[in-house]
Amino acid sequence: MKAICKSFWQMLSFVKRDMMLFAACAAPVLAGIIIRLGVPLLEDKLAKWLELPRILTPFYGLFDLFYAMIAPTMFCFVTAMVMLEEHDDRIDEYLIVTGLGKSGYLASRVFLPAAIAFVVTLVLLPLFHLTELTVLETLFLSLTGTLQGSIIELLIVTLSSNKLEGMAITKMATMMILGAFLPYFMSHPIQYVASILPSFWAAKAIYEQNVLFMLPAVGTAGVWIGCLLMIHATHPHQK
Amino acid sequence: MIQVNDLYFSYTTKPFIEAMNFTVEKGEIFGFLGPSGAGKSTLQKILLGMLPGYRGSAIVNGTECRHRTNRFYENIGVDFEFSTMYEKLSARENLQFFSSLYEKSGRPIEELLEMVGLQNDADKRVADFSKGMKSRLNFIKALLHDPALLFLDEPTSGLDPANNRMMKDLILEEKKREKTILLTTHNMQDATELCDRVAFIANGKIYALDSPHNLIMSKGATRVTYTWMDHGEHTASCPIDRLSGDEVLQKLIAQNRLKSIHSSEPTLNDIFMEITGRTLL
Ligand SMILES: Nc1ncnc2c1ncn2[C@@H]1O[C@H](COP(=O)(O)OP(=O)(O)OP(=O)(O)O)[C@@H](O)[C@H]1O
Ligand SMILES: [Mg+2]
Repeated sequence: MKAICKSFWQMLSFVKRDMMLFAACAAPVLAGIIIRLGVPLLEDKLAKWLELPRILTPFYGLFDLFYAMIAPTMFCFVTAMVMLEEHDDRIDEYLIVTGLGKSGYLASRVFLPAAIAFVVTLVLLPLFHLTELTVLETLFLSLTGTLQGSIIELLIVTLSSNKLEGMAITKMATMMILGAFLPYFMSHPIQYVASILPSFWAAKAIYEQNVLFMLPAVGTAGVWIGCLLMIHATHPHQK
Repeated sequence: MIQVNDLYFSYTTKPFIEAMNFTVEKGEIFGFLGPSGAGKSTLQKILLGMLPGYRGSAIVNGTECRHRTNRFYENIGVDFEFSTMYEKLSARENLQFFSSLYEKSGRPIEELLEMVGLQNDADKRVADFSKGMKSRLNFIKALLHDPALLFLDEPTSGLDPANNRMMKDLILEEKKREKTILLTTHNMQDATELCDRVAFIANGKIYALDSPHNLIMSKGATRVTYTWMDHGEHTASCPIDRLSGDEVLQKLIAQNRLKSIHSSEPTLNDIFMEITGRTLL
């Protein structure tokens, strides 16, 4: 446990030196302020200009969904970048034979950041939400957001072997969150093409106000994470 | 310290490491000597519990390697054949971090830095270190938690003579502190100088295992080689303990006709070639 905490602190002190990574950590609060203040203001202006009663309001749920993913995605992106840098320096290979071990390394780079992202989202979402969210919905959005962030992180570290590739994979992996659009914009049978995406089920649960959809949202995310962890464990990148 | 019994391992379906048996005693420097690709690093990785898919038994510090837990590494120090440091961080920051990963408090960082002459470079980024400095730094990283067992993968390779000498002295210093040391090398001179026993490894098999001295002696004693002129140059050689029976040599000496004469001990290199049919390089 001591080693895991030390390893986590190491990552934080590492992030402090890198302005880009540091900025990524600060982004969730900025984004929250912009969404919370900017979107209703924009809605007001748009409605007056187009002389319609509501334009963005029906999609406020979608804003909350995306907002719940911001902190986890940013945190997990930052850890993924640190992990890729550690891979470049071959630190990951060495840590396996220290008191930290492979499991401790994963704990300090995947599970601990995810837990923190979850708590941060749980705090930020009630501050910056646009729709009324029940406690269950807040918990659910924070959880799916966190799982989504972890999936993106694991995709980055399993599919890329350096920071440059990591950037490219990040763009692709982040597409996964677009599944959230489908329940809002696609007709019923067609939207199910996205049913392997947790973000799709999460959006369905919010859009259709049906708690049952929370199960496949968490279930699909669990399968993604399980598979990626397995691939990561059996195919450690070798130089 | 280490018992290996009937060890088999392969990365692929083709057999690689086959039927290996050996033990390493406490306080011993044990060397794996073999050419590139022989399986030296692979063997170390098995003993470090990094390749749990082996058959047979490999017991290190009383633990079967495939069942190791993180506690296993509290008493093992590792220096891989490549540098494993945060290149952007300073030497001291690196050592402080790695040291903090162990339950044990270990050895003072300043003392270790001084021991390898890096005390004045400790605040430089590792990226700015020379190759020799990096290998010394990686070496003391393995000592941070004062482990009883050291795994050193090619600790002397690619170093200039001064750094090579220093590294060997450092290793011998650790032996004095009663550490058990497992090292790999393809340099027979380093093996002769450092190791209490060496295992000749080629193609995933151990061909011979003994002290460097015994291995050298086992394959004939020192030979004397001499040349003389007799319608062109002739060369002959004879074991040093049979010189009195060599009539050609007696006659050449009596007639003062020898052009050259020298004795040569077989090196570990010669023995390696003779036993495995392969060169070390
Ligand atoms: N992760 C791996 N997957 C598949 N094959 C591997 C892997 N690592 C090593 N090998 C193969 O195993 C063989 C032995 O490699 P190993 O690194 O053990 O050799 P070595 O004796 O340490 O050589 P060197 O002196 O060059 O370090 C080589 O043929 C190598 O290609
Ligand atoms: Mg090797």
